[in-house]
Amino acid sequence: MAQRLLLRRFLASIISRKPPQGRWAPLTCRAPQRSPGDLTVAPNQARSIYTTRVCTTTFNIQDGPDFQDRVVNSETPVVVDFHAQWCGPCKILGPRLEKAVAKQHGKVVMAKVDIDDHTDLALEYEVSAVPTVLAIKNGDVVDKFVGIKDEDQLEAFLKKLIG
Amino acid sequence: MGGCDRTFQAHQSGLLQKLLQEDSAYDYDLIVIGGGSGGLACAQEAAILGKKVMVLDFVVPSPQGTSWGLGGTCVNVGCVPKKLMHQAALLGQALSDARKFGWEYHQQVKHNWETMTEAIQNHIGSLNWGYRLSLREKAVAYVNAYGEFVEHHKIKATNRKGQETYYTAAKFVLATGERPRYLGIRGDKEYCITSDDLFSLPYCPGKTLVVGASYVALECAGFLAGIGLDVTVMVRSILLRGFDQEMAEKVGSYMEQHGVKFLRKFIPVLVQQLERGSPGKLKVVAKSTEGPETIEEIYNTVLLAIGRDSCTRKIGLEKIGVRINERSGKIPVNDMEQTNVPYVYAVGDILEGKLELTPVAIQAGKLLARRLFAGRLEKCDYVNIPTTVFTPLEYGCCGLSEERAIEVHKKENLEVYHTLFWPLEWTVAGRDNNTCYAKIICNKSDNYRVIGFHVLGPNAGEITQGFAAAMKCGLTKQLLDDTVGIHPTCGEVFTTLEITKSSGLDITQKGC
Repeated sequence: MAQRLLLRRFLASIISRKPPQGRWAPLTCRAPQRSPGDLTVAPNQARSIYTTRVCTTTFNIQDGPDFQDRVVNSETPVVVDFHAQWCGPCKILGPRLEKAVAKQHGKVVMAKVDIDDHTDLALEYEVSAVPTVLAIKNGDVVDKFVGIKDEDQLEAFLKKLIG
Repeated sequence: MGGCDRTFQAHQSGLLQKLLQEDSAYDYDLIVIGGGSGGLACAQEAAILGKKVMVLDFVVPSPQGTSWGLGGTCVNVGCVPKKLMHQAALLGQALSDARKFGWEYHQQVKHNWETMTEAIQNHIGSLNWGYRLSLREKAVAYVNAYGEFVEHHKIKATNRKGQETYYTAAKFVLATGERPRYLGIRGDKEYCITSDDLFSLPYCPGKTLVVGASYVALECAGFLAGIGLDVTVMVRSILLRGFDQEMAEKVGSYMEQHGVKFLRKFIPVLVQQLERGSPGKLKVVAKSTEGPETIEEIYNTVLLAIGRDSCTRKIGLEKIGVRINERSGKIPVNDMEQTNVPYVYAVGDILEGKLELTPVAIQAGKLLARRLFAGRLEKCDYVNIPTTVFTPLEYGCCGLSEERAIEVHKKENLEVYHTLFWPLEWTVAGRDNNTCYAKIICNKSDNYRVIGFHVLGPNAGEITQGFAAAMKCGLTKQLLDDTVGIHPTCGEVFTTLEITKSSGLDITQKGC
């Protein structure tokens, strides 16, 4: 899709905040390790500026090493949400999954990967359609689903991962 | 005579070993510069044939800062978004026809630009991703970097961050495409937009001046007017240069009757910003091409569509001696798409003398890969290539324009059959009768072979596709007459063409 340098992500954040039926939760949680004042990122990584709610169980992946660090080497099981700006269902699943993960009180965390920003990573994990959600425990992919799931299905998926 | 002294010498000097391993001296069997319709088709075909292939694709941001993903012009800023916006406009027309067919609605129907562009951009995003996947599946290496030649068989790839990497290949295919041309007047790059920017414009363009008379200009003007905007088209001379002029004038005439303003024989000389904004306000001063008259007008947006320039001047072609047409920037190739440098080929819009169409580039790219790597001999057939201009009244054609047919075959050898027609769906809707038009040009000295097919009406693209296949099979007037029409359709008029231009008979439709 077209990009107008910094405008793209900023615009996306504005568009996704339009509440057509109030379904989209335009919130994203920052990584637990980041300092609370760190709202914006360096210009060459144009990230949207979202309003945030205090949340420590969901974070956006910054790059390959970040993924290695916080997902593959994580002691806690991680669900990885591969999503895209241009994907409608992703915008529904994302917040729903975040909520479900938050309900598990830290027993599982969630990493979000934008497949256009991190295409190599997405291709490495064989993502073709989005949303694709992987369950990763001790560095291995132990479960996976593609497409939207409802709250009950998500809870079951997470419970199975936590074990 | 005979003997193998030379061979022994080559072995001694190491030359023999090098000759035997020649291809593995390079990083890749094939490097394609440009990830558009032609480049991707060629790269993927070569990979399917087992070759080691790399594609480089890089979009230099437009003066307004617009950029896009993998897939080239067609997918990102051409055919795909154009057709979708054309559809948006057609749906608007359908809404107003709907009342005549019994639909009752009481609200005012408005168009939301942002909703449309977001949906279109989302679809394009999925296409970009699809291409990434496809390249990955076929094991084609993809690098998002600007490629240019530094020496024979070697290119430098510079990515967005300025990092440089070097790659070598046995063969290269240039598929760098084109970008919109600017006027070269004050204010053009700062304040004007082009098709590069239009399809992802974050705000509605408002009152728009479209400069140009190409199909890009007319199609854009058409759908912008169709979604309710105030649109003016500024034309220097003729409409749709290169197309059948009778059809071109009919296309323009329909647009004019339906609210698009035309300023014929004017060119802009200055664009000034009066107000910043989204959109802002621009003042345009234009001069007549026939006298001293100047006009001034204020628009929200100025869209330049005066032509496209090949991206061939800054890719290091001079370093390896690839000849380009200095004036146009296009690359002359032989009928095997080979440039004057034997290991360098080219496909797509940058080719000199070939039609600038996605399916042409794809076909040429695929066949080229098969000739290079599968020993096939098939060449791309550039004759009788169909196309359609998606203006509010669509124009589909295949073969020669009437002017070109007269030039090639002489008027006395031609018979032109034509008719006006009224699509059934337009009757109840109360839309123009005697506007849609069908024309075929037959070569009398070749069995009345159909050498030119032209249709102006709804779904022109769908209609033309079938007849293009027929023309490839050698369609003649007799075969057309022998074909039974499908009723009620627009396409069936071609099976009952009777009146010739030479007879001078009236083709106006009377009543039902």
